[in-house]
Amino acid sequence: MTTLRRSLALVAATMISYSGTPLAAEDAASDVTVARDLTAVIALQGLPCGQVVSATQQGEDDYVASCQDGNRYRVFVNAEGRVVVEKLD
Amino acid sequence: MIERAHWSAAALGAIATCCLLGAGCTGVKHARTAGPVPTPVPAETMVVTEPSAMSAPEVAAIPQPPVTAPAAAVPPVTAAPRVAAAEPPTSTPPAPKVAIPRPPVMAAAPAPPALPKATTVPAPQVVPKASPVPVPRVVPKAAQVQAPVASQGTPAPLDLASLGTRLKQTRAIGVLTKLSLKNQVDDLLEKFRAYHRQQGTATLPELRRSYDMLMLKVLSLLQDGDPPLARDIVQSRAAIWGILADPRKFNEASLMAGATT
Repeated sequence: MTTLRRSLALVAATMISYSGTPLAAEDAASDVTVARDLTAVIALQGLPCGQVVSATQQGEDDYVASCQDGNRYRVFVNAEGRVVVEKLD
Repeated sequence: MIERAHWSAAALGAIATCCLLGAGCTGVKHARTAGPVPTPVPAETMVVTEPSAMSAPEVAAIPQPPVTAPAAAVPPVTAAPRVAAAEPPTSTPPAPKVAIPRPPVMAAAPAPPALPKATTVPAPQVVPKASPVPVPRVVPKAAQVQAPVASQGTPAPLDLASLGTRLKQTRAIGVLTKLSLKNQVDDLLEKFRAYHRQQGTATLPELRRSYDMLMLKVLSLLQDGDPPLARDIVQSRAAIWGILADPRKFNEASLMAGATT
C-alpha cells in the first residue's frame, strides 16, 4: 500500500513538474508567451525590433528584451500604470 | 469399439468443424475480394466520368482542330465535318452552358486524368482557359454580394461594454500588451475630449487617422488569436467612430468624464 502511494505521489510530482515548465514561460492570464507579449508591446510603440528572442525579468512587470535585430529594450510599467519601453544601448 | 466410435465421432466432428471453418473463411475471402473489386470500379468510373465530362465541353469549345491534326489525313476531314455538324446546333446555346459547368470542374482533378487520355493538346488548353475565366467571375460576384450585407450589418453588433469585457478577457493578448493598448486608447480618448471641448489642436481627420491606426493595431493582435472578437470589432468599427466623432453621442456614452472600458 505504501509502495502504491509512493509511486502515485512520484507520478503526480513528475506530471506537475513537467506541466509547470511550459507554463512558467507563459502569462497566466493569456496564451501568449512573455517574448511574444514583449514583441507586441514594442511594436505598439512603433520601435524596431522584429521579434523578441530572449527576455530577462528584472522585477514585477519589468523586463529586458533582446530583439532579433540586435536592439535591446527595457519594458516596464511605471507608477502611473503606463507601459514604458526604453531603448538600451 | 466404443472408444473407437467416440474417436471416430470426435474426428468427424473435428473434420466437420474444419470444413465449416474453411468454408466460412473462403466465404469471407470471397466476400472481401468481391468487396474491394466493386469499390475501385466505381472510383475508376467516377474518374472516367469526370474527365469525360470535362473533355466533352472542352472539345466542343475549341480543340477540334487539334483533334483532327493528330489523326490520319483522310479521316480527319470526315471527322471534322461530323463534329462541325454536331456543333452548329449545339455551339451557340451550349456556349454559356459550358461556361457555367466549368467553374466547379476547374480544380486540379481534371488535369491529371486528361493527360493519360489525350496527352498533349486538350488538357493544357482546357485547364488554363477554364481556371482563369471562372475564378474572377465568381469572386467579384461573391464580393459584391457580401459587401452590402456586411455594410448593412455593421451598426448592429455594437456593444461597447461587451467588446471591452471581451478585450479584457481575451487570451490572445498578453497582459503588457493589453495595458499598452489601454494606454493608447486612453490617450486617444483624451484627444477626443479635448477636441469636443474645442481645446485640442488635433483635427477630426487627424483623430480619424489615429483611430484607424489604433484599430489596426488591435485587429493585428486579435486576428490570429481571437478571430471572433476581431470580426466583431471590425463590424463595430464605424459605429464606434460615430460615437467618438459625435459630441452628443460622446457625452451619452459617458466618455467625456473620462470613463473608459
